Amino acid sequence: MATPPPNNSLQTMLRAAVQSVQWTYSLFWQLCPHKGILTWGDGYYNGAIKTRKTVQAMEVSTEEASLQRSEQLRELYESLSGGETNAKTRRPCASLSPEDLTETEWFYLLCVSFSFHPGLGLPGTAYARRQHLWLSGANEVDSKTFSRAILAKTVVCIPVLEGVVELGTTDKMEEDLNFIQHIKSFFIDQQHPALTAKPALSEQYSTSKPTSSSSSYPLVTANNTIPIQNIVDRGEAIILNNNTKEAELAVPNSSFIPSELMELDATLEEFRVGSSGDGSNHLDSFPTEKSMALCSAGLELLQLQLPPAPAHPPTENLAQGGTDTHYSQTVSSILQKNSRRWPESPSLNLLTDSFQSAFNKWNSGADDYQHHFHVSVASVTSQWLLKYILFSVPYLHTNWLKGKGTSPYETSHVMAERHRREKLNERFLILRSMVPSVTRMDKASILGDTIEYIKQLRDKIESLEARKRLTGKRRMRQVEVSIIESEALLEVECVHREGLLLDLMTKLRELGVEVMMVQSWVKDDGVFVAEMRAMVRENGNGIKASVIEVKNALNQIIPRHEPYTLASSDHF
Amino acid sequence: MGASSDPTQDGSDEQQKRSEIYTYEAPWHIYAMNWSVRRDKKYRLAIASLLEQYPNRVEIVQLDDSNGEIRSDPSLSFEHPYPPTKSIFIPDKDCHRPDLLATSSDFLRVWHISESSVELKSLLNGNKNSEYCGPLTSFDWNEAEPRRIGTSSIDTTCTIWDIEKETVDTQLIAHDKEVYDIAWGGVGVFASVSADGSVRVFDLRDKEHSTIIYESSEPDTPLVRLGWNKQDPRYMATIIMDSAKVVVLDIRFPTLPVVELQRHQASVNAVAWAPHSSCHICTAGDDSQALIWDLSSMGQPVEGGLDPILAYTAGAEIEQLQWSSSQPDWVAIAFSTKLQILRV
Repeated sequence: MATPPPNNSLQTMLRAAVQSVQWTYSLFWQLCPHKGILTWGDGYYNGAIKTRKTVQAMEVSTEEASLQRSEQLRELYESLSGGETNAKTRRPCASLSPEDLTETEWFYLLCVSFSFHPGLGLPGTAYARRQHLWLSGANEVDSKTFSRAILAKTVVCIPVLEGVVELGTTDKMEEDLNFIQHIKSFFIDQQHPALTAKPALSEQYSTSKPTSSSSSYPLVTANNTIPIQNIVDRGEAIILNNNTKEAELAVPNSSFIPSELMELDATLEEFRVGSSGDGSNHLDSFPTEKSMALCSAGLELLQLQLPPAPAHPPTENLAQGGTDTHYSQTVSSILQKNSRRWPESPSLNLLTDSFQSAFNKWNSGADDYQHHFHVSVASVTSQWLLKYILFSVPYLHTNWLKGKGTSPYETSHVMAERHRREKLNERFLILRSMVPSVTRMDKASILGDTIEYIKQLRDKIESLEARKRLTGKRRMRQVEVSIIESEALLEVECVHREGLLLDLMTKLRELGVEVMMVQSWVKDDGVFVAEMRAMVRENGNGIKASVIEVKNALNQIIPRHEPYTLASSDHF
Repeated sequence: MGASSDPTQDGSDEQQKRSEIYTYEAPWHIYAMNWSVRRDKKYRLAIASLLEQYPNRVEIVQLDDSNGEIRSDPSLSFEHPYPPTKSIFIPDKDCHRPDLLATSSDFLRVWHISESSVELKSLLNGNKNSEYCGPLTSFDWNEAEPRRIGTSSIDTTCTIWDIEKETVDTQLIAHDKEVYDIAWGGVGVFASVSADGSVRVFDLRDKEHSTIIYESSEPDTPLVRLGWNKQDPRYMATIIMDSAKVVVLDIRFPTLPVVELQRHQASVNAVAWAPHSSCHICTAGDDSQALIWDLSSMGQPVEGGLDPILAYTAGAEIEQLQWSSSQPDWVAIAFSTKLQILRV
C-alpha cells in the first residue's frame, strides 16, 4: 500500500485536536487524486501504552511519549506489512514488537491498512456528503455500518481540507455540535478560503428560513439543512436530536459492505492470516480471535526481519560468523516453538496464602548494610570458586596425565619412527657414495645430484646407440707409421670421437715425436682420417722412439669399434 | 551428616520462615549441585565435592518432608574422579527413562541410579586414538531430545553426544579460546560462552556457521556462565568474569543487551531462569545474596536501573544456584560446605 510521507504540520494539528478533547486517537483520511479513494494520511495515538521501548535512558514527558508511540506504531506497521522484502532491514532494539501493544494500539495500527471510496464506509460517506458523522456505541453497531468496530466506542468523521478527520475514543460519547466546531477550529486556517466562497449560499437559506438566522451557529445549521433534504429524498432517516440518549447513526447502505470487507480481508492477507468467507459473522468475534491471530502473525513476520550478525574475523577451522539467512532460520526455529507457548506464559506467584517465602522483598534502603558487606567481601578474591572450576580444575587432568608417563603404544610408536628415520639416513649415505659428483652433504643435494647423474647416464646410452646404427659392423681401424732418420710420416684412419686428434698429438709429443704438419677430416660415415708429418727427437736417455713403439701407442688411443666389444664394461 | 535449620533471621522472622529454609552441611566444599527432575523423586538433589585431588565424592541427598531434615543415603554416595564441573539429572519428568545422573570433569560420565546403588553407565570419550580427552568445563542436557548432551571444553570445542549410542554426534571448534559454558535453546540449537568474551549461537542444521550475539565491551574479558530462558527462548543471560552485573540478551538483536542487572555488591557466580515463568530470573554472587528479578518491563527504561523484587542473604559467598524445574517454588544454593533449599 502506497502511503504518502507524513505531514508534520498535519500531525501537529491532529495532535492538538485529539489532546484538547482527550480522545484516544486521531487520523486524517486523505483523498488520493490518482485512485480517487481516501487513504491513511497521518495519525496521532493518544491512548494507553502497554510497553514503552526507547533507547534513551532518560524520562520523557507524557506528550513526547505519545508522539514517539505514534511513530513507533507507524514503523511497526510498515515492518509487518513489508514482509520478506524488509527482512534485511535492521531494526533497533527500541522498535515495537506485536506483543508490546494494547488492544487500542492494535486498533490504531489496523486503521493504517484501510482505505475508503467516497460514499463508502464512515469516512467515505462523510467525505461524499461534506457532512460530519457521529457514531456512538460504535463497538456495538452492526459490522455492516462500521466494520472497524473493535474497541472504539465513539467515532467521529469530519470532512476538512482534501479529506476527512477521524477521532475515536474508548468512551461512549453523545453527539456534541460544540465538539465538532471545536475540532474544526484546529483546521480553520485552511478552511478560511472555502468559507468565503459560501456567503451567497448562507444568504439564500437565511432568506427562505428566517428562524434559522437566530441560531448561534448559523453556518452549521445551514450545512445541516442540505443533507436533511437530500436524505429525506432518498428515503433515509438520520436522528440528530441532541437530547436522545441512544442517538445512533443508522445508515442501512448495502454498499458499505464490499469496500470495507474487501479492505479488511486484504489487511488480514497482509498479516498472513487466512481470510474468512463469512466476514460478517467473523468480525463479530474479532476482538479476541483476530487480535491473538494478528499477534501470532506479527511474530511470524518478525522472524523474517532479523538483523545481520556483526562481522567477526574468521579463524582457520573456527566456525564462521553466520549470514543473515542462516541466523534468521535459527531464530525462526526457536520462535516457532515459542509462539505456541507465548499466550500461555504463566506469571510467578511470589507469595501464596499458605506458605511464607524464604526471600525478603528487595529493600533499596538497605544500601548502607550492603555497602558494609561489600567492604568485608572485597578482601576475598571475586568469583574464586567459579574461576577455580573453570581455570584450575580442568588442568588437574592434564598434569596428572603428564605425570603418568607415556603409554606402551606411544613408546613403540616412537621406536618405530626412530627406526624408519635411521633406515632413511642409511640409504641416503649409500646413495651419496654411489653418485660420482656430490656437491653438498644434505639430503636435497644428494637427491639432486643423483637425478643429474641418472640423466647423464641416459644421455650416454642414447649417444652410444646412435653411433652403433651409423657405423655398422665393418672393421675401421688403421694406423700407418714410417720413420726415416729423424723424419716421421703417420696416417691414422678410425672411428671418430671428439678430441681424438688432440689426444693423438699429445701422445706423440710424449714419445718425442713432434708434429710439424697435420691434415685431418671426418668422412660422412663418421670415419676419422689424419695425415701427419713429424720430427723424431731423442728423449732424456738419448733414445729415439721406434716405429713399433709409436704404432702401439696410437693404437691404444684410437677407439675400437668391434661389435663384440660394444657392451664391454671397460667404457665405464 | 546431620541436617538442621539455619537460623539466619531474627527471632520473629525465624519463627515464621523456619519451614521454608532447609540446610544440609557436607564434609567438603560443594560446587556441582542440581535438582532431580523426575516427578517421583521430589526434593532430591545431587551434590559434588570440590577437592583438589583425584578422588572426589558425589552424594544424592533427599529432603525428608516430615521432619525437615536433608539426609544423605550412604548407598547413593559414590566416588568420582576429579571435582565435577557440573551435574544434571536426566530431564525426564514423567519417569519414562532410566534414572540417570550426568557429571563432567575429565570425561562426561553418565551414572545409573537404583534404589540402593549408583553405578557408572557410560564414560564418554570422543578421542579414539588415546585416553586423553579435553577436560570439560560444563555441559547441558537437551530437554527436548534427552539423547543429546552438549559439552564445553578448554580445548575450544563443543561436543554433542548421543548418550544412548555412547558416541560423538558432532564436534565443533566453537571459539578462539576455552569454552566455559554451553546451553541448549531448542532441539538443535545451542549457545556457548568463552574466554574470548563472546556468546555464540550454533544450529546443528548448519554446522559451518555460528553467530556472535554478544561480545564483552572490553576485549578478551571472559564470559564465564550462560543461561538460556527455557520459557521464552528469545532471551538468555550471561555472567562476565569479575563483574557484578548480569547481561540479558535478546537473540533477535545481536550485540545489544536488553538489560544489565547491576544490584549485586560483588561478583556474580550463578544465574538461573525461572523454569515456569518467562520473565523471572535469579542471580547469586560473592555478596552472599540471591536476588530474584522481574524482567517483564524489560523494554521500559527505569531510572537508576532495574531493582530485584526479592532478596535472600546467605552466610557466605553463594557459589552455585539451581531453580527446580519440577518444583518451581524452590531454588537451591550452595555456599561453602552448605546446601540450602529456599522457597521462592
